[in-house]
Amino acid sequence: MKAKNINDQDSRFSTWKIHLTVATTTLIPAAVGINYIAKALAEGLKLPLWLGSLGTFLASMLAGPTAGAISGFINNVIYGLTLSPVSTVYAITSIGIGIAVGILFHRGWFQNAKRVFVSAIIIALVSTIISTPLNVIFWGGQTGVAWGDAIFATMIGNHINIWLASFTDEFVLDLLDKFAVAYLAFLIYRQLPQRMINYFKDNQ
Amino acid sequence: MDIRHNRLQKVARLHWYNVVDPVTKLLLALFLTLLSFQLTDLYFEAGLVLISLILLLLSRLSVATLHAVSFSLFLIATMILIQGLFNSQNAHPLVTILSITFYQEGVLYALTMGARILIIIFSIGFFMNTTTVSENATYLESVGMPYNQVYLLMSVCYILPQIQQNLKKIQFAEKARGINPQKTLIQKLRSLLPIMIPLIIKTFDQSINRSITLQLRGFNSPERTIAAPMYHYFKTKLSHYFLVLMIIILIGCKLWQIIKNFL
Repeated sequence: MKAKNINDQDSRFSTWKIHLTVATTTLIPAAVGINYIAKALAEGLKLPLWLGSLGTFLASMLAGPTAGAISGFINNVIYGLTLSPVSTVYAITSIGIGIAVGILFHRGWFQNAKRVFVSAIIIALVSTIISTPLNVIFWGGQTGVAWGDAIFATMIGNHINIWLASFTDEFVLDLLDKFAVAYLAFLIYRQLPQRMINYFKDNQ
Repeated sequence: MDIRHNRLQKVARLHWYNVVDPVTKLLLALFLTLLSFQLTDLYFEAGLVLISLILLLLSRLSVATLHAVSFSLFLIATMILIQGLFNSQNAHPLVTILSITFYQEGVLYALTMGARILIIIFSIGFFMNTTTVSENATYLESVGMPYNQVYLLMSVCYILPQIQQNLKKIQFAEKARGINPQKTLIQKLRSLLPIMIPLIIKTFDQSINRSITLQLRGFNSPERTIAAPMYHYFKTKLSHYFLVLMIIILIGCKLWQIIKNFL
């Protein structure tokens, strides 16, 4: 495995650049496609995870938080328009994930395995905080994952506040999912050819 | 011009929904969704479900919509189960099955939520089933959306099948090498890497090639010929203004309700 410093402190991309270059314009659809495929693979392997933000993580790492946020947003919009209409509203969560990953990566929180652990917790928290109100509004607090909903049902049955029950349901699932995705993204990024990383950074 | 005229005549003979532009369809879906959140009466919700279902049935049903409905019906069933049994407002028993009592309040809450979910699925399903990628692309560009944003949205629909094809090839190659199915979660996650790494590198490589091709073909050139919309749409501006006005009124009502609760 070719080891390299995955976070160049002298990153050549501007963290908050909104202008879309041609390179970013072609990177974003690829990231959306990776999200789709990762989710399909997770379902195929019957993993208790979504993995549907892997492309968003990689886009944020390669081209900054804006690219990641747009990838996440478009992913949910396209997913919503083709497979599950309600998932469109979770585009806000994906934007949050993209921004969080971009900032953390830019500040060196994807440099080594220990730091990735902390990043995964922060990203899971961001995702949970944004998703919980949406879960309560659209699904009465549930997440749609059987064992997470079993926790939710137990807490509701014990007269615990719906917001706290929904937050716990979402956080337990998000924590596991974001750990898996963060480490996968970390390992995959280390395997990317340097010319590829440079291409997306140079074309910002 | 003649060709376009002929195409319009052909389209006019086809389906009524072809004269409704894509933005109107999306605004209609948003309007129905917001209206369902404004209403709290289950009969009104049922009426809205019926309206959106009729809209969907008058167009055409797709497998994707049926999948979305079946997945949501399962979730709605679990919602009825959990809310019917454990909702904090539960007071009046509705039905007892095998000594398990379901309560009116929880079941009503779950049914209202379920109705809203169905309204979203049916109205978005109407949009999905009645528009094509190229129709959306040409229409969005013709109404002034920047072409790079249009490209961004639409290219996803074309790139996905390409990535799926790459995935199949890589999976086939991995199987031929004798990679066995894994049992534990860690093993399963590890088994993803030999598939994901080549797939992602190939996908990014293709996007670099695409980017170079677009740059060479003058993607950033300010002089562009905008393609004419595929269909002749009926009263687009009027329907946009009307639906946007209704959406603003609904959002205003909801905000007023929230503010009133704090006063």
